[in-house]
Amino acid sequence: MPNEKPTIAEHLERAGVSRRSFIQLCTTLMMTAPISLSLTQKATAWEVAKAVGKAKRPSVIWLHFQDCTGCSETLLRTSRPDVADLILNIISLDYHETLMAASGYQAEAALKNAVDENLGKFVLVVEGSIPTKDQGQYMKLAGKPALQILKEVGQKAAAVIAIGSCASWGGVPSASPNPTGATGVDSILTEKPVVNLPGCPPNPYNLLAVVLEYATMGKLPALDDQNRPRFAYDRVIHDHCPRRAHFDAGRFAREFGDEGHRQGWCLYRLGCKGPVTHAACSTRHFNEVPDVWPIGIGSPCVGCTEKGVAFNVPIFQTVELRGVTPPEALPLINTPIGTVGTVAAAMVGAIAGGIGGAALMASRRLPSGKDFQDQTKSNEDDSQKPNVGSSGGD
Amino acid sequence: MIDQWERNVPVYDVPIWTRPFIGLCGLGGLAILFVSYRELAGLGPASGMNDAYAWGIWKTFNTMTLTGLGSGAFAIGVAAWLFKKKNLHVVMRTACLTSFLAYLSGLALLGVDVGRPWNFYWVFTPWRWNLHSPLLEVAVCMPTYAMIPLLLENFPPFTDWLYSQKPQYRPYVKKSEEIMIRFYPFIVGLAYLLPAMHQSSLGALMLLGGDRVYPLWQTPWLPILYVWAAAFLGFSCVAGTLLFCSLVWKRPIDRDVLVEMNRITAGLIGTWLMFRFADILFRGVINLAFKFTIYAGLFWMETLLLALALWMLLDSSRLRDPRLMFHAHLMAAVGGMLYRFDPTTLAFQPKPGAFYFPTPIELFISVGFVALAIAAFMFLVKVLAILPAPMRLWYSMEARENKSQRLAAITAAD
Amino acid sequence: MTLSRREILQGITFGTASAVATGAASGAVASGVAPSEYPDAPPAAVAMLYDNTRCVGCQSCVSACVEENKTLVNAPLPGIHHTNQELNATTKNIIKLYKPADGKSYAYVKQQCMHCVDPACVAGCMFKGLQKDPVKGIVTWNSKVCVGCRYCEIACPYHVPKFQWEGFNPKIVKCEFCKERLARGLQPACTSVCPTRAVVFGKRTELIAEAKQRIREYPGKYYQDRVFGEIEGGGTQVLYLSKVPFEKIGLPDLPPESMPEKYLKWQKRVYSYLAVPTVLYASMVAVIRGNWKTHQKHMIEAEKATGLRSQL
Repeated sequence: MPNEKPTIAEHLERAGVSRRSFIQLCTTLMMTAPISLSLTQKATAWEVAKAVGKAKRPSVIWLHFQDCTGCSETLLRTSRPDVADLILNIISLDYHETLMAASGYQAEAALKNAVDENLGKFVLVVEGSIPTKDQGQYMKLAGKPALQILKEVGQKAAAVIAIGSCASWGGVPSASPNPTGATGVDSILTEKPVVNLPGCPPNPYNLLAVVLEYATMGKLPALDDQNRPRFAYDRVIHDHCPRRAHFDAGRFAREFGDEGHRQGWCLYRLGCKGPVTHAACSTRHFNEVPDVWPIGIGSPCVGCTEKGVAFNVPIFQTVELRGVTPPEALPLINTPIGTVGTVAAAMVGAIAGGIGGAALMASRRLPSGKDFQDQTKSNEDDSQKPNVGSSGGD
Repeated sequence: MIDQWERNVPVYDVPIWTRPFIGLCGLGGLAILFVSYRELAGLGPASGMNDAYAWGIWKTFNTMTLTGLGSGAFAIGVAAWLFKKKNLHVVMRTACLTSFLAYLSGLALLGVDVGRPWNFYWVFTPWRWNLHSPLLEVAVCMPTYAMIPLLLENFPPFTDWLYSQKPQYRPYVKKSEEIMIRFYPFIVGLAYLLPAMHQSSLGALMLLGGDRVYPLWQTPWLPILYVWAAAFLGFSCVAGTLLFCSLVWKRPIDRDVLVEMNRITAGLIGTWLMFRFADILFRGVINLAFKFTIYAGLFWMETLLLALALWMLLDSSRLRDPRLMFHAHLMAAVGGMLYRFDPTTLAFQPKPGAFYFPTPIELFISVGFVALAIAAFMFLVKVLAILPAPMRLWYSMEARENKSQRLAAITAAD
Repeated sequence: MTLSRREILQGITFGTASAVATGAASGAVASGVAPSEYPDAPPAAVAMLYDNTRCVGCQSCVSACVEENKTLVNAPLPGIHHTNQELNATTKNIIKLYKPADGKSYAYVKQQCMHCVDPACVAGCMFKGLQKDPVKGIVTWNSKVCVGCRYCEIACPYHVPKFQWEGFNPKIVKCEFCKERLARGLQPACTSVCPTRAVVFGKRTELIAEAKQRIREYPGKYYQDRVFGEIEGGGTQVLYLSKVPFEKIGLPDLPPESMPEKYLKWQKRVYSYLAVPTVLYASMVAVIRGNWKTHQKHMIEAEKATGLRSQL
């Protein structure tokens, strides 16, 4: 009879990890886990510790298909928490071809055991695309096609995470003309919940976050229509790029090494796919060194997460921008011009009033109405007076 | 006693340096100071003009509107010389002087307003002229008019003064008068042709504003309406001036001449109003006058002022009531000026969101130049024989002068 | 106020004379001159075609224009880049945003001089300070004759010419189609940097054809399936294709006649050959002469009667 799996807290205690180290780990988790995960809604590390400690280390089975192992490599470049912490304390990595010691028949047996022992409860992480052409013979593991293995193992998994662009939608092997019929996981395992974490490689924290969420809360994060977690893939790089101000001002690097490029101007004209690529690279950089990400080092984004962009649109070809929110700095069609100053307005009032008032006051002194004396006489005397310029009639 | 204006007599019994005169000179001096600021700092800091309203009150008010008031020489001259209104000859000198000063002030301010005045010499090179431009017509015609026919029309008071005060120049005076008499019709004809041309071209200026000038004003007949308005504005200005001067300096008022002027002004205003309404009706924009907009408000203000003026002119003529006449001419002047000012600024909306209001400095300069013109008028009517008066005033002036001459002779003999 | 027979006759004389003169002048103008009275675009006219369905609001064109024309940078603070709300003395080219109430269907518009076929500014300028080049059709400004009267600002229906309001040597600033670049065989700065080819340079006839081709290819994409500038206001050399109504992006609704044709026709006719003024003058002088003779007679009589010098 298999033992009840220990909770993480129990497991750590047995492993001799001090409570202090555990709390430290939880602090790290809290800080580094992406926002919108339930983990980050905890107020203190102790609450995290409580939640995490109660959880059981989920079993993770990691399959490699048509891959370059870059996604595993990216996982190795984390330090908060580092891979050791991850695989020793948080998850139970029961099968990973690169990291495990076994090989050959022992490896095959390890896979079978891992699946059987954790039936229906393990998390399947898939790295690399799956060839489908010609009965999938282009990638075989222990003589069996990848397609078959995926179906067998995948059916028994609780959740599937497709890490990397290859597993998400086909990646590099699916580049035209796609001779092997490479495709992503979710077009094969259509009935399982699949979380796609595209990227080439993806940011390792995306994986950590999903795994942690699942491990501690038992659920997967919110996904978009391409099954990508929203916390990392809901916006395009262009909308969160530190060089966006240069784009908005029309300052572009036109050649590698030119003045604009040295100044760190926008790389749109060098083919940056930022405007059409959903990813979080602009805020979560790589290798835990700030600004270590493609645009940060002056290389235009190639759109490695985006199906249809990566390995499809040439790297230096500019993309069309659609539906990009225009910057607030652009002037509108009609902008207000001209104002009225209070002093000026007062002056105009004073002048108008002054003239009008003076005229009216003055006019009071003009003879009016009553002075009708000459009215009757005027007609009689008119013709008799010699007037300069008057005519005697023609 | 009936007062009849028979001769032009200087205002001889009032000192030149009165308080209002000093005040006006002061305003004018201040304006000139501000002009130097405008020249150094540029038009932007000195005025409220902007790229939407590129013409401010200097052009639109002082030049385009006040020279309408200064069309007295033109309007009264046409009435006197072409329509043989002989009574009006006696007010011609007043008309010529007010016109001349209004034009001088307006043109000076135009010189202040242009941004690159050092290039204005091209006005003397006809091969550089763009003959299609209404502004060119104005730029050539207005200074020509002011400096040639209008100036010449203003010579007679000055030559009279020379004749009486500087006997040594009498031969020259006589000679110049002979020349004047010989060429009088040609000079005077020019003095009516040129204002007709440029007052209408002032109207043509805003034609290029297109439909940015509100349809109640924008019409192909704008030039005609402008020159017609200039006609009654000229009359109102001169009549108003005469009434005001008579009031201030206690001179007799000749009701007959004024009534004649009133009737002509009323005729001009009446026909103008009919023309304006006919134009609006035929263009089919009369409905705009009945909307609740500022434009409709301005339109009715103009119309009502002028209609009121019309009624008051006729009524005051019937009653021979100077105060009513003065009010009438004031209404007519304000209404006419408002009409000429509206299409340039108040009824001109270059683009949505655009607004213009003059700055204090701009207002100072504008008012100051008008003040200078008024001050000059006050000075000149005291020195030269300009304002009309009955003969008895001439005789009392002569008596005073002779008296003082006799006094001088007596004191010299002592 | 009775008119004598003589006065009536005089009135009729010069009234008829001026009417006849006007009729003759306008007849001469209309019959002999009308077809070429208002110009067409020159055959080698250059043009720009701006298509706001392609524009991404990147403002490369604005930066390139500043660089090429060396206009002053309008930076309110150090480190803040060139920011202009309108065409003005510091920018000859600007990108503006049409932001509708629904917040979704944005559109950009590039504003600069339209280089009209029969420009209102050229018609209004007193000393030909703004002139239209007869070969390429570019409207340029000449600082040697400009007086700074700003009539061009009043006349232009697109609100293009801008005046330098500061300083004592103000200029009129507006796009001049990068004429130096054109002379060197290059494209204007703005069209040469546009990353999406939203604004392109070419001959006017070719670009109108190109615009019509695009309209044919994508029916319904462009507003009213027409290109603005082909006939509006007499035609312009900067053409616009837009996905939103032209009025929304600030292009005025103009009739097919150019501004000078529509508004200055009669001004031109009345003054052509100075016929009307001359006839008017002649008839006025004739009338005045008659009255002057009478007036002189009366002046002499008055002098005799009063013993005083007559006042002219």
